[in-house]
Amino acid sequence: MVNKTIGMITGNFRCDALQTLSQTRSIAAVPFGGRYRLLDFQLSNMVNSGLRTVGIITPQQSRAILDQLGAGKSWFLDRKSGGLFILPGSHYGLHTRNNKFPLKDMANNIEFLTRDFAENVIISTSNIIANLDYKPILINHAKEQADVTLLYLENKLEKEEEPRQLFILSEDKWVTGLEEGMAKGWQKTKYFANTLIIKRQLLIDILKGYEHIENLDLMDVVKENCKNLRVLSYPIHGYFGRVFSLQSYFQHSINLLNLSVQQELFREDNKIHTKIKDNPPTKYGEQAKVKNSLVSSGCNLQGEVNGSIIFRGVQVEPGAIVRNSIIMHKSKIKKGVVLENVILDKYVEVRANTVIKGEDNDPIIIRKNHVV
Amino acid sequence: MKRMSKKECVAMLLAGGQGSRLGSLTRNIAKPAVSFGGKYRIIDFSLSNCVNSGIDTVGVLTQYKPFVLNSYIGLGAAWDLDNAQGGVHILPPYMSEEGGEWYKGTANAIYQNIDFINNYNPDYVLIISGDHIYRMDYSKMLDFHREKKADVTISVMPVPWEEASRFGIISTDLEGRIKRFTEKPAEPDSNLASMGIYIFSWPLLRTALIQDEKDDTSDNDFGKNVIPMLLEEEKRMFAYQFEGYWKDVGTIDSYYEANMDLLLPHPEFDFFDDSRRIFSNSDFYPPHYIGLKAEICNSMISNGCVIEGEVINSILAPGVFVGEGSKIEHSILLPDAKVAKDCHLRKCIVGEQASIEDYTVIGMDEARLDQQEITVIEGKSMVPEEGCLEGEKGILQDSIA
Repeated sequence: MVNKTIGMITGNFRCDALQTLSQTRSIAAVPFGGRYRLLDFQLSNMVNSGLRTVGIITPQQSRAILDQLGAGKSWFLDRKSGGLFILPGSHYGLHTRNNKFPLKDMANNIEFLTRDFAENVIISTSNIIANLDYKPILINHAKEQADVTLLYLENKLEKEEEPRQLFILSEDKWVTGLEEGMAKGWQKTKYFANTLIIKRQLLIDILKGYEHIENLDLMDVVKENCKNLRVLSYPIHGYFGRVFSLQSYFQHSINLLNLSVQQELFREDNKIHTKIKDNPPTKYGEQAKVKNSLVSSGCNLQGEVNGSIIFRGVQVEPGAIVRNSIIMHKSKIKKGVVLENVILDKYVEVRANTVIKGEDNDPIIIRKNHVV
Repeated sequence: MKRMSKKECVAMLLAGGQGSRLGSLTRNIAKPAVSFGGKYRIIDFSLSNCVNSGIDTVGVLTQYKPFVLNSYIGLGAAWDLDNAQGGVHILPPYMSEEGGEWYKGTANAIYQNIDFINNYNPDYVLIISGDHIYRMDYSKMLDFHREKKADVTISVMPVPWEEASRFGIISTDLEGRIKRFTEKPAEPDSNLASMGIYIFSWPLLRTALIQDEKDDTSDNDFGKNVIPMLLEEEKRMFAYQFEGYWKDVGTIDSYYEANMDLLLPHPEFDFFDDSRRIFSNSDFYPPHYIGLKAEICNSMISNGCVIEGEVINSILAPGVFVGEGSKIEHSILLPDAKVAKDCHLRKCIVGEQASIEDYTVIGMDEARLDQQEITVIEGKSMVPEEGCLEGEKGILQDSIA
C-alpha cells in the first residue's frame, strides 16, 4: 500500500499576512517551534507513513527551503531509488485567489509523476502543523476504490482558522460537492484540510486534459468532476493547525507550551524530523529565571524568560526579560531589555535597555538581521 | 577488496577497553559510548578531532560490549565520515585460518589490523583512544612529526607534580627528543605526561608490531612494551607539547569532575566554539520544555527534556524528565532518565533510562553532605518509591529493583 504511494508538497505559496516572516521565504520555510520549519511536519508525516519518494514544489525564493532540505538526509530521503525531488514552481504575478495546488506547478513537473510507478499521490500544502499517519487513510482509499480522498476537519472552527474555507458537501462519506466560502458563525461542518490522496494516473490525465487552461487549481477540477469520480472524505482528529496569518502563526506557536499539544505533535514513535545542526545543550546561568517555555539547544540564557519559544543559539543576558515572545535563531538580547509579545526573526540583536511591547494578539515582528 | 587510494595519515582509535573503573556506568556499554556533557558520547571528541584535523580514515577497534558503540558510530555520517574513499571502519577481533583471538593489548589490536592499514598505504598512523575529553588539531602534531623527521611523536602535557606518578611520564632533551619513558614512576623526574596519542611512521610501526608480537613475554601494549622497545633501539622519538584542556575520564571521579567543569562561568572546554565543533550522533528530540513551576540555575539542559521541578548545577542529557517538586543538585542525568515527583537528588549520576520513583532521596545524608561521594544509579534500573540511597559507587540493576 504504502510503497505504492508518493508524496507531493506544494511550497510555492507566499502569504503577505505573515508580514516580514515570509518576505524572503515561502511559508514552507518559516521557522516554527524552536527548531523546525513548517515544511518539516508534512514531510515527516509522509516519511513516517512509509513514503520514500516525495517531491517538493519550490517557490521563487527557494534559498531557505533548499538550505533546509539538502539531499533530504534528515528525512532519510537521500535514496538510490526514489527519495527527495526538488520540483521548481512557476512564478506567479499577483495572487487574488487562495490557490492550494495550482495545476501549472504540477504540469511543469509532470515527469516526476510519469516516471514513477506508484498507484497514488498524497498532495498537501506546506503550512500544516500536525502529526498524521497516512497508513490507515491509504488503506481506506484502496478498500473503497476511491479515485480521490479528501481529508477534512469537522466541528469547531477555531478563531485562528482561515476565514475562507473549502467546505465539503457529502452524502455519508462520498463527496458530492465543494463550496468555497466564509466560515460564518463557525458552525459544525466539514471543511477541507489541505491534503488529498489522488490516483497518480488520474492526476496525470487531469494535468494533460486541462493543459491549455491558465491558472486552474486542482481543487477546481475535483469540484467540477465530483459527480463523475469516486471522491471520498476522511476525517482528521487531533491537533491540526494551519498557518496563514501572523496571528495564526503566533497562536500555534504559543499552543506548543501546552504539554498535551507537545506530546501529540512531537510523539516519540512518529517524530517530526528537521535538519540537524548539532548544537551543544543550552546553558542556564546563575541568574536565569525560565518558566513555561520551549527552548532549543545551543542557547545561553542568563535572564528571565516566560511563556516563550526560544530557537537555537539564542543569547539572553542577565537582567533581560522575555515574555510571551518567539525568539528565532542566534538572536541576541542584551542587558535590561524587555520584550513582550514580540517575534524576533533570525540573527536580530536587541541593544541594552530597549523595551518592545506588542499587543496580546498582535505581536511586533523584528526583521531578520536587524539591530534594534 | 580493491586497493584504496593512498592516505597520508590513517587514525586508529582504541575503543576496546572495558573501562572497569567507571563501574556501573560501563556495565552494559563500552566506555567510549558513555554519555558526556549532555548530548555527547565520549567518543565524539576523538572522532570530531579527526574530522576537524582533516583525517578522513579512522579505524575504530572495538571489543567490549560493542553493540551501543557500533550502532552509535553507524556509517559515520554524524561526523561526515561516511566517505567512499576511507571513512570510519569498525574493527572487531576476527577469526582466520590460523584461528583467532581477542585483542590482547593495544599494540596487538593494531597488529591484527595491519592489513587494514596497508590497504590505505599511509605514510603515518595516528593512534588515539576514545576516552579523553579534549579538542586537538592532529594536523599540527603531524607537521611537528614531519619537521622533526621523527619516527614516533608522542603528545604530552604538563601535569601537577603530585599527580605525575599516575601517568606515563616522559623526559626530553632541549630539542624535545624523548630520553626516557616511565609508566607510573614512583619518583617522577619530569611532569610531562603522555596523553596516549601517538604518531608513527607506518613502515617503522609495522616492523615494530611484528617484532613485538614474536615476543612471548610482551603484554603487547604501546606504553608498556612498544614505546620502551623503540626507545631502546634509539629511534627518533619526540614529545609534542599540547596546550589546552585535556581530561581522561576513566574514573567516576574524573568523569564527574570533567562534566562539572562545563558548568564553570568560563569553562576551559568551550562547546560553543563554532570553529572546531564537536559532532555527535544524537537521537532526534524536540526542544526541551521548562514548566510553570520549574527553576533552573547554572545548568546545561538538552533537547527533549521536560522539567517541572528544580535543577541546580546539573547536566541533563536528552529526554530527561524531572517531575514537580523534585530537586536535582550537582548531578548528571544521562539520556532518558526519569525522576518522578518530590525527589531530592544530590551528587548523583543517573544512568540511561533509569527511573527514579516518587519521594526518593539520594545523597542527602546530613553527616556526609560535604563529602565527595558520588552515587551512581545504573542505566535501566528502577529506584522504587521512597528509596533512600547514599554515596554508593554503582547501584546495580538487580540490587534494588
